[in-house]
Amino acid sequence: MQKYSRELTVAGVLAALLLVLAVTAPAFYEPQPLLSRLAREAPTLVVACGIALVMVTRQIDISIGALFAVCGVSAGLLASAGWPLAAVLAATVFVGALVGAINGVLVAGLRLPSIVVTLATMVILREGLRWWQQGAFINLPDAWQWFGLSQKGGQITLIGCALVILAVLAWASRHLAGVRFLYAVGSNAEAARLAGLRPQWMTLAVFVFMGALTGGAALMNVVQSPQVDPKSGTGLELNAIAAAVVGGVAVSGGRGNLWGVFAGVLLLACINPALTYLHVEAYWEKAIQGAVILLAVIFDGLRNRRNLS
Amino acid sequence: MKRFLALAVCASLVLISGCNKSSEPGSGNGSGGKKLTIALMPKSKGNAYFISCKAGADEAAKELGVDLLFDGPTDPDPAKQNEIIENWITLGVDVIAAACENKEGISTALKKARGKGIKVVTFDSDANPDARDFFVNQATPEGIAQTLMDEAARLTDSEGEFAIITASLTAANMNEWRKDIEARLAEKYPKMKLVDTKPCDDLKDKAQAEATNLLSAYPNLKLIMAICSPAVPGTAEAVKQAGKTGTVKVIGLGLPSENRKYVHEGVTQSVILWKTKDLGYLTIKAAVDAANGKLKPGATDYDAGRLGTLKIEGESIVLGKPFIFNDANIDQFDF
Amino acid sequence: MLRHETILLLVLVAEWFYFNAVGRRFGTLDNTFDIMRHSAEIGLLALVMTPIILTGGIDLSVGSLLGLCAILFGKLWRDAGMSLPMAAACTLLIGAGAGGLNATLIAGLRLPALIVTLGTYSLFRGFAEAITHGVDTFTNFPDSFLALGQQHFAGLPTQVWFFLVVAIGVWLLVHRMTFGRSFRAIGFAPEGARFAGLPVERRLVLAYVLAGFVAALAAIIYTARLGQAKADAGTGYELFAITAVVLGGTSIFGGVGSVHGTLLGVAAIAVLNNGLVHARQPREVAGMLTGVLLLVALGASALPKLLAKLRPPRHAPAPLSSPTHPS
Repeated sequence: MQKYSRELTVAGVLAALLLVLAVTAPAFYEPQPLLSRLAREAPTLVVACGIALVMVTRQIDISIGALFAVCGVSAGLLASAGWPLAAVLAATVFVGALVGAINGVLVAGLRLPSIVVTLATMVILREGLRWWQQGAFINLPDAWQWFGLSQKGGQITLIGCALVILAVLAWASRHLAGVRFLYAVGSNAEAARLAGLRPQWMTLAVFVFMGALTGGAALMNVVQSPQVDPKSGTGLELNAIAAAVVGGVAVSGGRGNLWGVFAGVLLLACINPALTYLHVEAYWEKAIQGAVILLAVIFDGLRNRRNLS
Repeated sequence: MKRFLALAVCASLVLISGCNKSSEPGSGNGSGGKKLTIALMPKSKGNAYFISCKAGADEAAKELGVDLLFDGPTDPDPAKQNEIIENWITLGVDVIAAACENKEGISTALKKARGKGIKVVTFDSDANPDARDFFVNQATPEGIAQTLMDEAARLTDSEGEFAIITASLTAANMNEWRKDIEARLAEKYPKMKLVDTKPCDDLKDKAQAEATNLLSAYPNLKLIMAICSPAVPGTAEAVKQAGKTGTVKVIGLGLPSENRKYVHEGVTQSVILWKTKDLGYLTIKAAVDAANGKLKPGATDYDAGRLGTLKIEGESIVLGKPFIFNDANIDQFDF
Repeated sequence: MLRHETILLLVLVAEWFYFNAVGRRFGTLDNTFDIMRHSAEIGLLALVMTPIILTGGIDLSVGSLLGLCAILFGKLWRDAGMSLPMAAACTLLIGAGAGGLNATLIAGLRLPALIVTLGTYSLFRGFAEAITHGVDTFTNFPDSFLALGQQHFAGLPTQVWFFLVVAIGVWLLVHRMTFGRSFRAIGFAPEGARFAGLPVERRLVLAYVLAGFVAALAAIIYTARLGQAKADAGTGYELFAITAVVLGGTSIFGGVGSVHGTLLGVAAIAVLNNGLVHARQPREVAGMLTGVLLLVALGASALPKLLAKLRPPRHAPAPLSSPTHPS
């Protein structure tokens, strides 16, 4: 229990918030908007899982927002060119994985710091996309929305996909050696290397995986409306990293639990709607988000101090 | 040692540059038949609305035989427009035509341009009056706000709750519209109530999320006014997904091409805009004529080529009134 | 092998000659002043980011703090009726105080700098939006104040003098005073520094409070240059500052770096942005090239180390890399 106190605290705060909303603004739980909100957060959850694994390895990736937009636009263009769903999914994931591989090679191969590498790739992707698309929306063919299912069916499918990915990764991070090794690499790469692991290859793999997840998440976002906005994904890296941190993932690597990340995603996703339902002015949004992140990390710090003393 | 070398190199570069003559004022009427250079600045790059204006601007530039520079900020920092304008001043363009994101901020740079003899024309959103020669006005901010508010009232029988989705809380021209909308609301529609205003940060997906929450948090909502162009299809999609098509009306400022589907499906009732290509065309034509003296201060009429003769009110060349795109006419437009 | 700063200097010289050839008005004095004026605030942020990154930390909140200080400055002057010098003094104190908040959390509670400043990045911008409701802007400053950002003083744009003072100050701090050595030591091995008796917390507090103070100064200069104070001022400046610092050869892991490198980094990016306008290239190209330049610069300095690692014969065991440095 003690080991999971961090994640439980986040879950507790989330539960408290949900309780407050249940009492003061029960409209929050209306099924259709709730389902829409959850479907909208599904891509963020997928990306947050990915960034959590990257952070566990003691790296970071701030290019995921720009990559999300690039993958979304690619998916949109391929879809309007008539490609079938499976092919578009494969292509989008491939594009994501490719960019992830570039990040990975630079970080793992050339030993460059990941924050700077992904800063550079973020800028290149974002400006390149803006130059290419000039902000134009891409119209999707009619059958594309919700994978061709009904709205409810589509939303449940998306939420289901995100939860399945979360569950698989959470299970893998506990039981699958390959993923557990990421924790080792993040804790102490040198020790891991001496123990026979190959930190550089694992780092490369985690970046490729991050890119692939981003591509998949982009497609999950694309099917939720009939047009693709080339600006989608703006701020995604911040949300995902904040959710992971609030959920207990340590930026110094080696620690983090995907269920905590899940709670973090939900908590941060609730802030904005909560403001609307509680009729609070919109200009408090950023300040509250910042405060939540700080409180989460201060709590960590105080707990560490208590543990050390 | 190496550090001094570096300093010496930098200092000599600066000195070399000092030897070049400082920039001359803009060439005004064009020295010896040189092509005029018009510098066109949107509020930001990657914005489909301004790209559609640019189409008209390109047309005018080709027709009038002038060089067109098109550049603008790629991030939201307010100082970026100023920096590009100052670069253009040094570059020595003949006319600057800018859509102003921050009225007072950009006036600093535009006044400097005028001081150097460069003609300044604003379009879409004005600067301070002493910072420009003419304002190419598709419609006044009051006109736009009033059209929006009146249309909202028409669709809701002048009573009920409505909400606004704007771009960001700091977006200057949206804030001006919001102010005028609220003024019109207070003046003419006492039975209507503005319950909330949400930013979408210029993102369609965020607008969709905000609209979803608004629809549920305010069960008596009758209309959502999306004054930022990605927000119009985003709001429409939210209304559609909530199953409230027709119950909650959607109007906004947006491009016909982005909203066609929703207008035909009856989700969006009215899209308000103007002929952006004409706006771009008129901007360049006025810029050229300001530079070569055909358009003089104090003029009350302006011969705008294929657009006919337009009135000038003060220093505002008015293109016309905002245009309401709806189911009946939206297919006639391809931008 | 050439030093990082030397390579950057060559890049800067190459940029200069290229743009001079391509842009008719690039090499003029007016344009040089343009470059100086446009990079003064961001240069200030990059300067104070250097000691922070030297300690192995980071500060993502400086851009947001610039925005917050700008509107507070405007508000103190317009709504609280303070005189401009008084408002400026208060703003500088508030900036330092905000830096102190970062310092308390990072140095005091030993929280990771990336996440703390990610939180304050939102918090500061959020306060700026909350205070102004996003809508309020402050303008109509007297001309005497605007001269700070728009006029010249003794031959150079006024704000350049402030920049030079801060640049010299930070350079002395990092390169000639023991503080600088402490920063490097902390960046290289924080625990080691502590055991060596360095007052680690005090040094970190200095670095972050200084950053807050200078961010406030940059905010005042920004307001004077633009003639307007808005809540979204300084958006994106922190990334530019970090890019300039890293480009200049300071390692993001800490322990290695220089202030003159940062200055070269700021110059390289500023000249690139300016030159591309003269070369009639769109803004997006400037952004992309900055990213490419960053990767190339990093790669160029990493390549020799990598080649050296690959060269030793296979039968000899590879030397252990430093345990304190992530490999």
